[in-house]
Amino acid sequence: MKPVYLDYAATTPADDEVVKAMLPFFGETFANPSSVHTPGQKARTAVEKSRSRVAALLGAAAEEIIFTSGGTESDNLALKGLAAARRDFGDHIVTSAIEHHAVLRPCETLERQGFRVTRVKVDATGMVDPGDVKKALTEKTILISIMHANNEIGTIQPIGEIGRIARERGVVFHTDAVQTFGHLPIDVDRLNIDALSASGHKFYGPKGVGFLYLRKGTRILPQMEGGEQERDRRASTHNVPGIAGLGKAVELAGERMAAEAERLAAMRDRAVERILTGIERTHLNGHPRLRLPNNVNIRFDGVEGEALLFGLDMAGIACSSGSACTSSSVDPSHVLAAIGLQRQEAHSSLRFSLGRGTADGDVDRFLDVLTVTVARLRALAAGRGARG
Amino acid sequence: MGKRVMVAMSGGVDSSVAALLLGDAGYDVVGATMCLGVADAGDGRVRCCGPDAVEDARRVCEVLGIPHYSFDFSVHLRECVIDPFVAAYARGRTPNPCVECNRTLKFAVLLRKALAAGCEYLATGHYAAIEEERGRFFLRRALDRRKDQTYFLYGMPAASLPSVLFPLAGLGKEEVRRIAGRAKLPVAGKRESQDICFVTGKNYTDFVLERIPEGVREGPVVDTAGNIIGRHRGIIHYTVGQRSGMRISSNAPLYVVGIDAAGNRIVAGGKKDLLSRGLVAGNVNLFVEHWPDRICGKIRYRKQETPCRARREGDRLRVLFEDPQEAVTPGQSVVLYDGDTVLGGGIIEEVRYGDC
Repeated sequence: MKPVYLDYAATTPADDEVVKAMLPFFGETFANPSSVHTPGQKARTAVEKSRSRVAALLGAAAEEIIFTSGGTESDNLALKGLAAARRDFGDHIVTSAIEHHAVLRPCETLERQGFRVTRVKVDATGMVDPGDVKKALTEKTILISIMHANNEIGTIQPIGEIGRIARERGVVFHTDAVQTFGHLPIDVDRLNIDALSASGHKFYGPKGVGFLYLRKGTRILPQMEGGEQERDRRASTHNVPGIAGLGKAVELAGERMAAEAERLAAMRDRAVERILTGIERTHLNGHPRLRLPNNVNIRFDGVEGEALLFGLDMAGIACSSGSACTSSSVDPSHVLAAIGLQRQEAHSSLRFSLGRGTADGDVDRFLDVLTVTVARLRALAAGRGARG
Repeated sequence: MGKRVMVAMSGGVDSSVAALLLGDAGYDVVGATMCLGVADAGDGRVRCCGPDAVEDARRVCEVLGIPHYSFDFSVHLRECVIDPFVAAYARGRTPNPCVECNRTLKFAVLLRKALAAGCEYLATGHYAAIEEERGRFFLRRALDRRKDQTYFLYGMPAASLPSVLFPLAGLGKEEVRRIAGRAKLPVAGKRESQDICFVTGKNYTDFVLERIPEGVREGPVVDTAGNIIGRHRGIIHYTVGQRSGMRISSNAPLYVVGIDAAGNRIVAGGKKDLLSRGLVAGNVNLFVEHWPDRICGKIRYRKQETPCRARREGDRLRVLFEDPQEAVTPGQSVVLYDGDTVLGGGIIEEVRYGDC
């Protein structure tokens, strides 16, 4: 039977049209877009076309887009680059406890360099209270970084309110939108966003390419030094095929986003409802309504998430757990801990994320397999002996 | 596709060949590695035990074209193996953590995971055999006597035997290496691991010291009559039968013949003081209810088994050897054999110098 892929939050397949859009730039139009000659200019045109498309989807200007190697680099550039550029004005950064490690680790590095970081807590649904952000601000605060939506539990943060607070206080506001760009509408002006990170492979674009939106007039110190690409803000020869693919993915996202979000949200709600009513002792992690249209994160009491993940994979269902031993960390997810889950509860949680390839039939099959697998694991845990 | 089997893969040559052989035999093979998550001595941050081991196992699985999973066993390892290991040293014993790992992790927790995921069997690269006779399953010694690992396996839950496969039962180490080489497995030339897997980059005493620094105090060395004849550096540094480390002048060589944890004393004596015929074992696991009067017992992995009699008394096992044994050591296991069949065994708790 065809496997069911329910890990779109980890990565998405590049759309066929995206792949097609990339191909000319490996051979035919291979030149360096920084070169002055005609072949170089052709490559440059492609890069700039993508830049305009990205900017258009954000309501931004083309020169406000800095292409990078992906979400992690964008977050690193934003945190380290903005903090370093604003050091003369202060040394305090406000972020949240549930950010991606691509934000949290740079924050730790900045702390070692003498910056102070406040990590605001979240409530049991994973929501940041804008009031907490406001309270955390001091005269010395130079940067606020709060993610748009959480990658594990899907909770969508009130970034509009946080942006307004940042604007009122004259503090730069960065948001990690890796999980939302291309999936949810974002208007950087309306939301008062000064910097925004996104990654191509999360919305059917290629891996290894992403961007940082940076509001005009916001100073940043490059973290990648060398040539003068990206207006001196990010050195390195442009990844032209990647950027071309990213542009195509943005174009497709713009066309499909609204309908797709609606379709996925309906599927998500049906899956959540059937799990919560059909399988005993299950709980939804994250916010019941304000969550990513494709995110389902469930706690199965009395079930080891790892064993469930494995059992589902054996049955052809690919999903994700909060803790991945392969990432050399066996600590429970910091996100699940932040919403108040005990270690055991965190280890009993799995994330299922839907996407463009998910059909109603896939969800049905997933739910059937899930029900059987959870029952089997619970029976074994109840100690029916090795032979079960 | 044949029956599905999970192979516990350490990244070593034995388990890799086990996976290879099962695939050749038509099984639907899945590789799995137990991530032990031992805290690094440097910064105390939990890392996977031997990320290299996990990577090696993954590479082998790639070559074999089978899926590979890694499971977090850090909590299990700490609670079921490391804590008892450290506690045993504090009590003056010489524990064998491999026995405990096989008993409580590999053939219990990992096996449950395998079965829960829909596998029919769990396989490992141990040199041992499981044979079925008239519906009953027996743990038996491997064909290659020198490699036989049943000493570490006697604690396997009896109920697990029907669900476990040992593909290397009939093979020798050289043969296993040849098979690995022929199949161009990336671990074919890998060195044999001899150490305790969770004691990384240091010796076991440092490992124990880090965890119970307060439990290690200097103390007296006494002779068998109780006279103080020297000082010791802390009982965890000693094991019964050990000769070195006793800076005491004496006409005949001195050996550790006993460790008195309660009195923080090391008892030293001559070679003859190491001899004893009887022992009492706890943590008993038996695969059979009855056995012949005269069987064989083995008190250390590297020792030959020798004739003995054994009697079960409640949750204890009393073993009396025909000939006196040298350095019967609390914490080590006694394993009972009837020919090639493993009857069971237990952890040595007391040494009996008289008849028992």
